[in-house]
Amino acid sequence: MKLTTNAKFSIALVAVFAVVLGALLLGNRSGTGTTSAGASDATVLRADTHLLSTAPDNDVVLVEFLDFECEACLAMYPTMERIRTEYADRITFGVRYFPIPSHTNSGLAARVVEAASRQGKFVEMYQRMYDTQTEWGESSESQEPLFRTFAQDLGLDMATFEADLKDPTVAERVERDFNEGIDLGVQGTPTLFLDGVQLPAMPTYEELTGRIDAALAR
Amino acid sequence: MTSTGGTRTDTRGARTAGSFPAACSSYAIGWILSGAGVLGLIASLILTIEKFRLLSDPSYRPSCSINPVLSCGSVMSSPQASVFGFPNSILGVVAFTVLLTTGIVTLSAKSGLPQWYWRSLVIGLFAGAVLVHWLIFQSLYRIQALCPYCMVVWVVTITALWYASLHLCTRSASASSRPVTRIVTVGAQNHTLVPTIWILSVASMILSAFWTYWSTLI
Repeated sequence: MKLTTNAKFSIALVAVFAVVLGALLLGNRSGTGTTSAGASDATVLRADTHLLSTAPDNDVVLVEFLDFECEACLAMYPTMERIRTEYADRITFGVRYFPIPSHTNSGLAARVVEAASRQGKFVEMYQRMYDTQTEWGESSESQEPLFRTFAQDLGLDMATFEADLKDPTVAERVERDFNEGIDLGVQGTPTLFLDGVQLPAMPTYEELTGRIDAALAR
Repeated sequence: MTSTGGTRTDTRGARTAGSFPAACSSYAIGWILSGAGVLGLIASLILTIEKFRLLSDPSYRPSCSINPVLSCGSVMSSPQASVFGFPNSILGVVAFTVLLTTGIVTLSAKSGLPQWYWRSLVIGLFAGAVLVHWLIFQSLYRIQALCPYCMVVWVVTITALWYASLHLCTRSASASSRPVTRIVTVGAQNHTLVPTIWILSVASMILSAFWTYWSTLI
């Protein structure tokens, strides 16, 4: 079949587009190739990572990258709470911030939790966020007034809380977790790492305990 | 070809008839509209069903929520997904059913549909295209997530609008003034070029809006 000029032009356009895209993506990869050498020291567990459970020997380490506004994290939350109580003191379980930029309040929520942690209420605020996520999640307005009531309910010193929330080091702390997550290959939340190895997305309770038990038995 | 059924059989009429490629014939347009109707209908139905599931179970993870970028969940639960107070996908179910029916009637009925019907169809498709472009903008720059089924609807709506307009114009071209006929002829001869340029433009916008994500894929 003979091609019309119309078809030729269309195919040529698509081809040019594909070539340019390929060149851009490959150029980008060689660009990141040089930076990834510096990022190779990315670690799943940091000294400042918030721990929900601590094993004395730090033998089995479970780390969750999470976003307080993510529905999948909320779906995962009951499982993680069960793991936390059942494996308390037997595994080290840490959580790290990975606020996904498309969620309006996820960055703020992470900063609120970090500010609460400065007054020793990390766990309480973490739980509060998931307990109430359906009330404020997916909203396009800032939930700062609501989050402030959480801080009041938890009996935080409000002046300190307000100051911490505005403190750039709190934002940097959240950012550090996020950036290290990117370096570790986190693409979405929740992402779990067991002993430094990324687990398949959304494991069930049974899958997760199976893996943890196997790691404990080693 | 029946597309120029109204053309006189003198030499000039025959040349006009011959200058419109087969893509503007009732046969081709019938298949294009049927195909667009089927694809759009499937996408709209899936979106509607997923919306129901999401409403009855907030922790439900839609089949196309793969990662933070490809995430129907965040798109579907946004206020933009219910512009008129009910899910947009319901509009799609109705509109694509009409498109599919039009395609089948065009393919099977010898006499073809009246001119007023084609005019109304093009007006309807144009309104749909306006909504689609607004949704593209919202998805890329406000919600900042992509929903694969919605993207099927984008492509299908634009393709259907272009070919239905072309069909309407070539049908009435013999009754139009010479400059109009010339424009229609150029458009008809380059019929794949217009949708190709459009799709590549939107693809470029998608690529640039989520560039960091795409570059982590390779």
